Amino acid sequence: MDFLVQGFLRAIELLFAGDAETFSAISATLVVAAYSLAATLAMGLPLGFCLGYFEFRFKKQVRVVVDTALSLPTVFIGLVVYAFFTNRGPLGEWGLLFTLPGIAVGLTILALPIVVALSATAVESMDRLLRVALISLGANRRQVFLSTLWEARLSILAAALTAFGRVMTEVGIAMMVGGNIKWQTRTITTAIALETNKGEFAMGIALGLVLLLIAFTVNVSVSTLRKRY
Amino acid sequence: MYRGQPVLRFDRIEIPTGSIVGVIGPNGSGKSTFLKLAGFVEKPTAGEIVYNGRPAAPFAPEVRHKVSLMPQEPFLMKRTVLNNVAYGLKIRKDLDRLETRIQTALSWVGLDAKEFVKRPSYALSGGEAQRVALAARLILKPEVLLLDEPTASIDALSAQLIKDAALKARSEWGTTLIIASHDWQWLYGVCDRVVHLVRGRLMGTGRENIIFGPWEPGANGLWGKVLSDGQRILVQKPPEVLSAAVIDHAAIVPAERPLPKANNHVSLTGLITRLALEKASGDIIGSVLVANLPFTATLTESEVHEHGLYPGRRVHLLYDITSVRWF
Repeated sequence: MDFLVQGFLRAIELLFAGDAETFSAISATLVVAAYSLAATLAMGLPLGFCLGYFEFRFKKQVRVVVDTALSLPTVFIGLVVYAFFTNRGPLGEWGLLFTLPGIAVGLTILALPIVVALSATAVESMDRLLRVALISLGANRRQVFLSTLWEARLSILAAALTAFGRVMTEVGIAMMVGGNIKWQTRTITTAIALETNKGEFAMGIALGLVLLLIAFTVNVSVSTLRKRY
Repeated sequence: MYRGQPVLRFDRIEIPTGSIVGVIGPNGSGKSTFLKLAGFVEKPTAGEIVYNGRPAAPFAPEVRHKVSLMPQEPFLMKRTVLNNVAYGLKIRKDLDRLETRIQTALSWVGLDAKEFVKRPSYALSGGEAQRVALAARLILKPEVLLLDEPTASIDALSAQLIKDAALKARSEWGTTLIIASHDWQWLYGVCDRVVHLVRGRLMGTGRENIIFGPWEPGANGLWGKVLSDGQRILVQKPPEVLSAAVIDHAAIVPAERPLPKANNHVSLTGLITRLALEKASGDIIGSVLVANLPFTATLTESEVHEHGLYPGRRVHLLYDITSVRWF
């Protein structure tokens, strides 16, 4: 048990001392999380709204595909993205392999089904009278869309939070597409995996604490937002 | 469309500007669908809706800011009363004297702005929510206001305030009102015209008595329907066993005593439940409960006096079976 306690104390030391390597991994994680979440929400919310709001042919089939994509293995996504971004791959010339944007693309593929499925469920569960009320008050199509999302904001916030949690804690894609390059593409999770293999528990614990702290901060913020209504 | 069948089937209905039109009919008769179509919330599967001489559809600019429907259930957004009432003006970017207009709209429905504006919608009672929903529409000064069962399931005070506010909109701005309600006493009192919607079809003035099948064959080639108290409604052979019989209100004559059986005439006994004055014609509309079936008869003032008719009084009704129509 001693090594765990010592690791914890050393982790606190690393964090307060502003250890550059630790903060590089934190920064890389936040960057890929921000990129991928922005892309996921930009695409996922309209898609989820359409899937939940409109009736169309093959809607059930589309829903099954989205729900299946929820359980896509991260290493499989990593493999596919790697294959596309490698020099021999169709998108090799984009030069995204072993870069933070490359990781963000993989994470977006991972998080997109989560946001689409959960926001579709949120919109579906909205009272059908909302649409009637909005149109009756003079809303145009864009205002109906935005107001419906706003009404479903708590559920959509939960969807975004779930996606955020998935993106922050992902290892496989970050490792395969990012390559875990020190100072460049090493994220919190890949760093923890590496440091644990090396027996360097202190840095692993420090990074783990940061992950917990970020998750806590985000949850407290969301909880505060919820209380405002 | 509902289960492959059209919910509404009629050729034409014209609603004059500034009029008050009442829509009555049993549950499932298509009243709410009619209001959603007339309120440009939904598109008809066939036919068109013309507004001010031009065909219009949901989201069309010529109707979007002029026609407003208040649905039966007062749906309020997860916002404060202020934001619910101001929503329509905000999306129009019409923010001039917003606070004053919110106060006025709320006062029309009997709500004190100071007390209510900051209250979240979930903290309102059913009647208050309905009044806030109406205030959210009144603030827009709509050219046409459609109210779907505005007084159903709410307290008497809220119901009266809603009725008063709707009529005030008409008198102050000339708003056309289309009101679907089971409160036919109110509708006959305030409407320029009342239409009766049954199984998606328009049935005249709303005073027709509609008796649904099944019909059973009886003696002398007549068919009938036995009521819960044993009385029989007799008719000529219906087109189908499940056809609905229509007995016009004017074809029903009241009497104090049971009437002798005459050729083609049938007598029923019932209890007067309501007497209401129809504003437009000055007629008195009587509602008579025969067993569990409500009948409507048009009465003159002299008939009411002569027979001493009042709610709670037992009365005998006579109708001519040859006057029965079918649909």
